[in-house]
Amino acid sequence: MSPDVFLFWFLAILTVISGLMVVLMTNPVFSALSLAMTMVLIGALFVTLNATFLAGVQLIVYAGAVMVLFVMVLMLFDLKNEIYAFTRGKISGAFKVGSVGILAGLVIGSIGLTASTLLQSSTAPLVSMSGDTTKDLGKILFSQYLLGFEALGALLLIVAVGAVALARSKGGTHAK
Amino acid sequence: MGNDIFEITVNCVKLIIVFLLMVQAVPVLVWLERRGSAFIQNRFGPNRVGPLGLLQLLADAVKFLFKEEFIPEHGIRFLYYGAPVMALVPATLAFAAIPLGYPLQWDSYIFRIQGFEVNVGIVYVLGASSLAVYSILMAGFGSGNKYSLMGALRATAQVVSYELALGLAIVGAILLYGTFNLTEMVAAQQGSLQFAFMGHAVNLSWLPNWGIFYQPLGAVIFFAATFAESNRLPFDLAEGEAELVAGFHTEYGGFKMLLFFIGEYGHMMVGSALMIVFYLGGYGIPGVTIPELQQWAAGVTSSANAASALVSLITFVSFTVKLAVFMWIFIQVRWTLPRFRYDQLMELGWKTMLPWALGNTILTAIVLYIAKA
Repeated sequence: MSPDVFLFWFLAILTVISGLMVVLMTNPVFSALSLAMTMVLIGALFVTLNATFLAGVQLIVYAGAVMVLFVMVLMLFDLKNEIYAFTRGKISGAFKVGSVGILAGLVIGSIGLTASTLLQSSTAPLVSMSGDTTKDLGKILFSQYLLGFEALGALLLIVAVGAVALARSKGGTHAK
Repeated sequence: MGNDIFEITVNCVKLIIVFLLMVQAVPVLVWLERRGSAFIQNRFGPNRVGPLGLLQLLADAVKFLFKEEFIPEHGIRFLYYGAPVMALVPATLAFAAIPLGYPLQWDSYIFRIQGFEVNVGIVYVLGASSLAVYSILMAGFGSGNKYSLMGALRATAQVVSYELALGLAIVGAILLYGTFNLTEMVAAQQGSLQFAFMGHAVNLSWLPNWGIFYQPLGAVIFFAATFAESNRLPFDLAEGEAELVAGFHTEYGGFKMLLFFIGEYGHMMVGSALMIVFYLGGYGIPGVTIPELQQWAAGVTSSANAASALVSLITFVSFTVKLAVFMWIFIQVRWTLPRFRYDQLMELGWKTMLPWALGNTILTAIVLYIAKA
């Protein structure tokens, strides 16, 4: 087993484990921390693919900012009530189990249907990955995918403005 | 890591040395802070243990090691013990990627005077140091104390808000140098101030070619945000002792407390080092270029290896001097300025520094576009 392969499997297994921890932990704070861990590990996987810029951005944006806000909000909740609310109730419990079952079925089904394509080894020529991919990424983002990039930016702006408007219409931070 | 055993060994040893450099600077800085604050407030400060009180820190470290180990009754064990470690690791990882001196050429090997070279240096350093927030959150939540939790939430909100201004302030510098690589940035700032603007060559031989002369606003915003990032006065809302006892580390004592301390000083050092690399010419010496230095070193010793080592050493000393100046500014500011109120802090971050940093980015882009046209 070459070092690259070992590194990939090591990181991949850790990523899957921390991903599982997100759903298996009973304490939401631990779930959120596991999700942050998953983000960091995905960043590490990006590094093994020579996409160092993506890895750094993954760390700054997801692990460093988005997940921190998640954890912060979770800490303000009364966690005991949340856990209680999730585990009690027969009819709603049946709904929850049912929806989890449907989701699992969808995931397994999609994996089963696409397994043949996923397992096929690609015949396309390998792009040279030795150099710095940041410049290429920037060029592609601002030429080929410009429309999608700008549309995403506009969408995020709309979401941010909408969130502020919703919060203000209910009285903002000084709501009684 | 390297091509043969020698290179790999040296690179591994280098990692340890950079780590020790950072950790061992902390006692000196704590001594400087205590003596410096005493000097500013017209007191003596610790002056009993050893010459000038220098051994006070050793005594403190021994005391920290032998303190009683305890965990709060309602604390969460894993988070409580994990938080101090999380405080230390990101600062160390970030500091290891900063170039501290001119690369050393030893026979056919080239050793960089830094822990490891990352091609997207800035992104890596910011990414690694942004993980330090988790240490605050883990400490606040794991302590099972409401003062800790309140302190942690305040500190986190502050760090996350100022990270935006910090990141945007550097974008101007990135545009200016056209690279993410810290070593290339330092190389771009050597020599005297000269640039081409709309076909005219401007050359000011009495000023070094430092980023601060191109990006004064970015430098100011970056430096102010660094204070907020490392939770130092005037931004130490995390610790507001009148309201929150001691913030997120209320329940910590002994060596765990010391680890938080090392983390805080580590962040100050990373912030100062980034400030030097972006805006103050990195390891360069004003008025002297690297080739001139190499020529001088070649005249001093006959061996090429020794000459290269001499150049590396001098540039390293130059970097250290700049770092020491910045650390002193950190200390001086802490003992001079009062603390912000929390709403003032948020207004400064979101309504002043963020728009100015954004404006700086746009302005830099336009000016660069015109200058290159």
